[in-house]
Amino acid sequence: MNPAANNAEDPMGNAVKNEKDMATTSGTPMTLAQVRKDLKGTRGKKFWRSLDELADTPEFRAAVEKEFPTAAQEWVDPVSRRSFLKVMGASLALAGLAGCTKQPEEKIYPYVKAPEDLVLGEPMYFATAHPFPTGAVPLLVKSSEFRPIKIDGNPEHAYNKGGSDPLSQGTLLAMYDPDRSQHVRYRGENRSWGEFVEAFRGKVASTKDGTGIYFLSATITSPTLARQWKAVQAQYPKAKLVQYEPALAGTWAEQGINVQFDTGAADILVSLDADFISGAAYPGFHRLVRDYANRRKHPEKGMNRLYAVESSTTTTGMKAEHRLLLRASEIPAFTAELAKAVGVTGVNPPAYDWTGEQKAYLAALVKDLKANPGKSVLMPGLYQDRSVYDLAMAINALLGNIGKTAFVSRDTVNPIPSDQLAGIKSLVADLKAGKVDWLVMLDSNPIYTAPADLDFPTAFNKAKVAVHLGSHLDETGQIAHWHINSAHYLESWSDCRAYDGTVSIVQPMIAPLYGGKSAHDVLQSLLNEPMLSAYETVRATWLPVIKKNEKVPGDVEMGWRKVLHDGWIEGTAFDKTAKATVETAFHGTVPAPASRDALEIIFRPEPHVYDGRWANVGWLQEIPRPVTNLSWDNGALMPGALITRLNVVEEDIVEMSVGGGKVKAPVVAMPGHPQNSVTVYLGYGREFAGRVGSGMGFNAYLIRNTWAPFYATGSIGKVPGKWGVAITKSHYQDHRGKEFGQQGNGDNSLEGDEALGPRGIIRYATMEEFKSNPDFAHEGVRYDTPSKDTTLFPNWDYSKQATENAWAMSIDMNSCVGCNACIASCYAENNIAVVGKQQARIGRIMQWIRIDTYFEGDLAAPRAHMQPMLCQQCEDAPCELVCPVGATLHTPEGLNMMVYNRCVGTRFCSNNCPYKVRRFNFLLYSDYDTPSLKLMRNPDVTVRSRGVMEKCSYCVQRIQEAKIKADKENRPIRDGEIVTACQQACPADAIVFGNKNDKTSRVSKLRENQRNYQVIADQNTRPRTTYMAEVLNLNPELEETPEEFSPAKG
Amino acid sequence: MATSEVKIDEQRIDPATGEYRVITPGQTFRGVTEKITRLVLTPHTPLGWFAIFGIAGAGATMLMVAVVWLFLKGVGIWAISQPVAWGFAIINFVWWIGIGHAGTLISAILLLFKQGWRNSINRFAEAMTIFAVVCAGLFPLLHVGRPWLGYWLLPLPLTMDVWPQFRSPLMWDCFAVSTYATISVVFWYLGMIPDLATMRDRSKTRLSQYVYGMLAMGWRGSVRHWARYETASLLLAGLATPLVLSVHTVISFDFAVAVLPGWHTTIFPPYFVAGAIYSGFAMVLSLAIPLRKFYHLEHLVTLRHIDNCGKVMLATGFIVAYGYGMEAFMAWYSADHWEAFTFWNRAFGPMGWSYWVLITCNLAIPLTTLWSRKLRRNMLFMFILSIIVNTGMWFERFVIIVTSLSRDFLPSSWGTYRATKWDYMTYFGTVGLFVFLFLLFVRFLPMIPMSEVRTMLPGAKIKPKVAAEAGD
Repeated sequence: MNPAANNAEDPMGNAVKNEKDMATTSGTPMTLAQVRKDLKGTRGKKFWRSLDELADTPEFRAAVEKEFPTAAQEWVDPVSRRSFLKVMGASLALAGLAGCTKQPEEKIYPYVKAPEDLVLGEPMYFATAHPFPTGAVPLLVKSSEFRPIKIDGNPEHAYNKGGSDPLSQGTLLAMYDPDRSQHVRYRGENRSWGEFVEAFRGKVASTKDGTGIYFLSATITSPTLARQWKAVQAQYPKAKLVQYEPALAGTWAEQGINVQFDTGAADILVSLDADFISGAAYPGFHRLVRDYANRRKHPEKGMNRLYAVESSTTTTGMKAEHRLLLRASEIPAFTAELAKAVGVTGVNPPAYDWTGEQKAYLAALVKDLKANPGKSVLMPGLYQDRSVYDLAMAINALLGNIGKTAFVSRDTVNPIPSDQLAGIKSLVADLKAGKVDWLVMLDSNPIYTAPADLDFPTAFNKAKVAVHLGSHLDETGQIAHWHINSAHYLESWSDCRAYDGTVSIVQPMIAPLYGGKSAHDVLQSLLNEPMLSAYETVRATWLPVIKKNEKVPGDVEMGWRKVLHDGWIEGTAFDKTAKATVETAFHGTVPAPASRDALEIIFRPEPHVYDGRWANVGWLQEIPRPVTNLSWDNGALMPGALITRLNVVEEDIVEMSVGGGKVKAPVVAMPGHPQNSVTVYLGYGREFAGRVGSGMGFNAYLIRNTWAPFYATGSIGKVPGKWGVAITKSHYQDHRGKEFGQQGNGDNSLEGDEALGPRGIIRYATMEEFKSNPDFAHEGVRYDTPSKDTTLFPNWDYSKQATENAWAMSIDMNSCVGCNACIASCYAENNIAVVGKQQARIGRIMQWIRIDTYFEGDLAAPRAHMQPMLCQQCEDAPCELVCPVGATLHTPEGLNMMVYNRCVGTRFCSNNCPYKVRRFNFLLYSDYDTPSLKLMRNPDVTVRSRGVMEKCSYCVQRIQEAKIKADKENRPIRDGEIVTACQQACPADAIVFGNKNDKTSRVSKLRENQRNYQVIADQNTRPRTTYMAEVLNLNPELEETPEEFSPAKG
Repeated sequence: MATSEVKIDEQRIDPATGEYRVITPGQTFRGVTEKITRLVLTPHTPLGWFAIFGIAGAGATMLMVAVVWLFLKGVGIWAISQPVAWGFAIINFVWWIGIGHAGTLISAILLLFKQGWRNSINRFAEAMTIFAVVCAGLFPLLHVGRPWLGYWLLPLPLTMDVWPQFRSPLMWDCFAVSTYATISVVFWYLGMIPDLATMRDRSKTRLSQYVYGMLAMGWRGSVRHWARYETASLLLAGLATPLVLSVHTVISFDFAVAVLPGWHTTIFPPYFVAGAIYSGFAMVLSLAIPLRKFYHLEHLVTLRHIDNCGKVMLATGFIVAYGYGMEAFMAWYSADHWEAFTFWNRAFGPMGWSYWVLITCNLAIPLTTLWSRKLRRNMLFMFILSIIVNTGMWFERFVIIVTSLSRDFLPSSWGTYRATKWDYMTYFGTVGLFVFLFLLFVRFLPMIPMSEVRTMLPGAKIKPKVAAEAGD
């Protein structure tokens, strides 16, 4: 039951009676005894009248709200109050939200696996898209009994081919977030949507031309919303729209630039502070990573080479063959030097004393670029000066890359490009001048995110009425007059464009859990048909397009169905052939680097909570961030040398100040960070994020200003106190390499030296080494699996004769980019519990798959090796032998299974696991109480209780599903039919799962590859998960850089 | 020191039998009986007893609080985590079981070897065994994630027809520990029957007559009783003797069977058994020295006993030292990186301090001082040393379990361990429980076996000549 769904029929009611309602908020709480007393002596008709009167007292309303928070909104509305009383009984019977789901009223169409009707237990798949400011992520959502339970990339979409990212995965939990705002509110009082519409529409109509009506929106990604805005603007020409996307404001991506790179066509990739590998923050992440990784899968056929020039430690730099550490302000100057050396005209690089290493790097890079014209690509950083973009594109143009590896078009993902920093500045100026009557904030939280120098909270108070549309009662929602609970994208209709321009319709998977509204509804309320649903609006945008589009067959309705079914509109991709002119000359100015003594503070969106919007998503909070393995916090990420200079240790507190802002943060060491600079991530320090995110980390927006949104010169100093952070891997700073047997270098990480050296966990070769010795991964017998004859017992027969299927997985270390999408996907698929910061800190994080990061060489400039580690499904599993109750067993197909019901929790299996991939429920970590989270769980996977061991099962539920299907159709399981959750999410396609007894399967072929190796095989575990050793395509001219190589190598 | 200089001390040889004296001369049958029964049958409990009983009771109560909280919340209240999934619980388990071993050794092996001196101390040593096994037995149950299902480790013919996994060392533990507990209790009780009859006979109150009478199971002291009693004792000693070796061997399999470097070693069984006896004798001393002082039992528990315990500790201490030496040697000799790293990490890693505590307490201090007869006969020194050795033995288990787990195969998964207050409460709680039970024992049961001590009196000895004549 969802009484809020009746809102559409609500009469508008009277104008809001503020004063009266404000007055009624006080009073004593109501008790049953008091109700009895009040009703005593009343009978019959009079009794009913008294009850009615009673029902109108504020105490009673408060009592109702306490009891039925979702319905309290109904209560203030006299008409629907009656319907509420009618349905109340039913609600009680259904006991909470779990009984309340229903499909959206409009027709949505199931994807490929379409049963005739809903078959309970049979999931359905729907295509939709995650609207993201840098471009939509096309999705395929698994829906079980009309509850979305798993988000994955749309496998048929040309953009991401099924790949996803942790953020998109996390939006599922964001939708079921129990702390989402559930009502329309006016000054803290619950109101109906209708009342808001009436007040809003009335006010705007009274202005005639929209004077004093301001909209502050997150970047508009929906073409329909843009169309609606244009309609509003036509009607009210003086209404103003300001877009402000905290993580992107000021970047070239928001300024109407659309550039697509083709990392697959380029042999030489140059990242100029462009972190295109870390995550969705860089436009086109999925596509860029997939194409990049594809060129690394067959080193024998040649590979690309990645140069990364970067100002913070990112996975892009860690994956790069050659990484150059520069301070953020040096990068424009370096790019200018590069442009000049390549031959771009009009460049005047600022004078700077580059070090020998930097000069050598530049020279080698220039040589390599010139040797590969038309086969290279330079990618400019988002969080860099505009000159870096212009210079990079000029170099691309000069090298003939435009039209081959880089494509520029005038269309953009963002339909209303604007200079957002200028926009918000002018808004603040108007606010201060008292020009703003109504400030309507759409999916925006400016109180938290606005640049510090604008002093937005003070200006905000000058707005006569502030309206906040948001998913939570966040920092802005708390103080806005009106708050409208917004609908999640999985709950509402919309549309958006992917990086390549393809339009996707955002179809809702579920009716809004709390009756939320979207920005479409807010803008529509000003137009001629105020109650026109988002569905109709979106259709109105695209039906004409579909009608004209000859690529969509059949009539318009059929076309619409196909669009929803496929998840995109055919033929809407940006035209790659229409070359926009890109000049080979440069006209701007290049800022000079800051002095080497100045401390630089670099601002980046947090890899998981982004600009703070996902602060309340437990998965994203908990999953350790790439490189740092930090969870639940942001920190002052700094190089070891700065830590030494400040005379601090990790977890000490430092105070950073930029301009007038000051902020305190814990010290976290970041290997390979440029000297004298500190990276801080935005998105933390939320005050009103919800039960998960509130109070975590520190708010870096407080030191971020409009004049330096990406990096600033500031100061730093130690302050007293300690700030414990949860870093989930062994702590490299504590264990320097010279510790054991004096091997390695004292500046190295002991873990890295061990893993790369005597333990043979990471094995790699340079291209030359690989060519001269393709079998490098198996050098030295000590890593090899002992012969099968060493045991007295008969070996279990896993051959083709014995078992049809023998499951195996191959992970290509050359492709893996450490983006964490697999981890997030695993959390969603396997109902993995979130344990919280304190538990994560002491090593109890529950992730079944993790990315092990090993640093090779000097920690000041290391190379990192990222290794996804999950249950290896050993054929001779050490864990099975030691379980006293037989709770972990082996299947004939080679799976190492956990029987949760049987597990008593001795944890011996975990002790005996060489890979330490087993996870134990030390406490009751699974949330058994929150109703909304129950809806989200995968019904095919047990929710584990306290005291039970768990671990990766190769997604056995998916294997079983495929086996049942194959059995029904009387055929063997096809290769690729079973896709594990981690494999499905991987944007780089680094994980391959399949049947090793099928000699034609992908996984069998990969296992026969020379690069294939097993980790810790000398323990005779015979793991089914194998790894493909890395090959680095180094530039011979830069190869001798001493600190990039340690003597230890697999 | 100067042991070779010791002359044959007239006082130490019993002129009547020509054997070494165990108890001081001048004891009579009546005197011994009187002395031991009075301790129990007196209505006046010493105030000191109440004081220690109160402290121990508080410890036992603390254990109860810790256990209740543990059952409510789960094992996550302890410090265990990934990768160190075993912590105090298993350390304590192995420690307590080890302590128990001395009692069984004294009562069974020394009986078979006809070591008469054991008679004075075997009763409370056996009681120590039982209470130690009680404390130890708690831990396997407490440490499992779902203690209410702990019985699944037992081979019960349940309707589900699911059996435990017989290849798991934890399963073997179940058998080893339960057998050990059973044999120990039976042996202890059986040995006590003649004494219980004495107590029954000397009781003045109706209640104690009744209770001791029930416990004495109708013992009348007939020759037939005695004959059967002696046979049963020998049989039980025969059954218990292998247990001294097997129980800790099985416990060591919990580690030796695992693949973990630092655990996976064949030296563990003998080294664990020796360590168990080492710590057990230390515990015997920790109990005997205050007891003889407190209850004025110097005539029955003599310097000879303390001295002998010291010698056993010296011998087993050297076996333990050999074990440590072999671990270090194999780390180098095997040329196996896993072993080498683990050994290095034990000694010089982040938790290296615990290894040096262990070396100091188990090797450096005892193995240098126990050579000295003078020190072996210095009560204060021996008491302190016994505490030091048991501390060292606790750290031995800490090093084996925690340090090995903290850094194993995959460097990415290295971790650390920092005990919580609940860990300490549980550990010290079991110490409290142990002392609590032991004090009840000394108050209500004869702590020294009267019947057996009486056999050591000159009057009980049959002259060799007479014996030869009587022999058939």
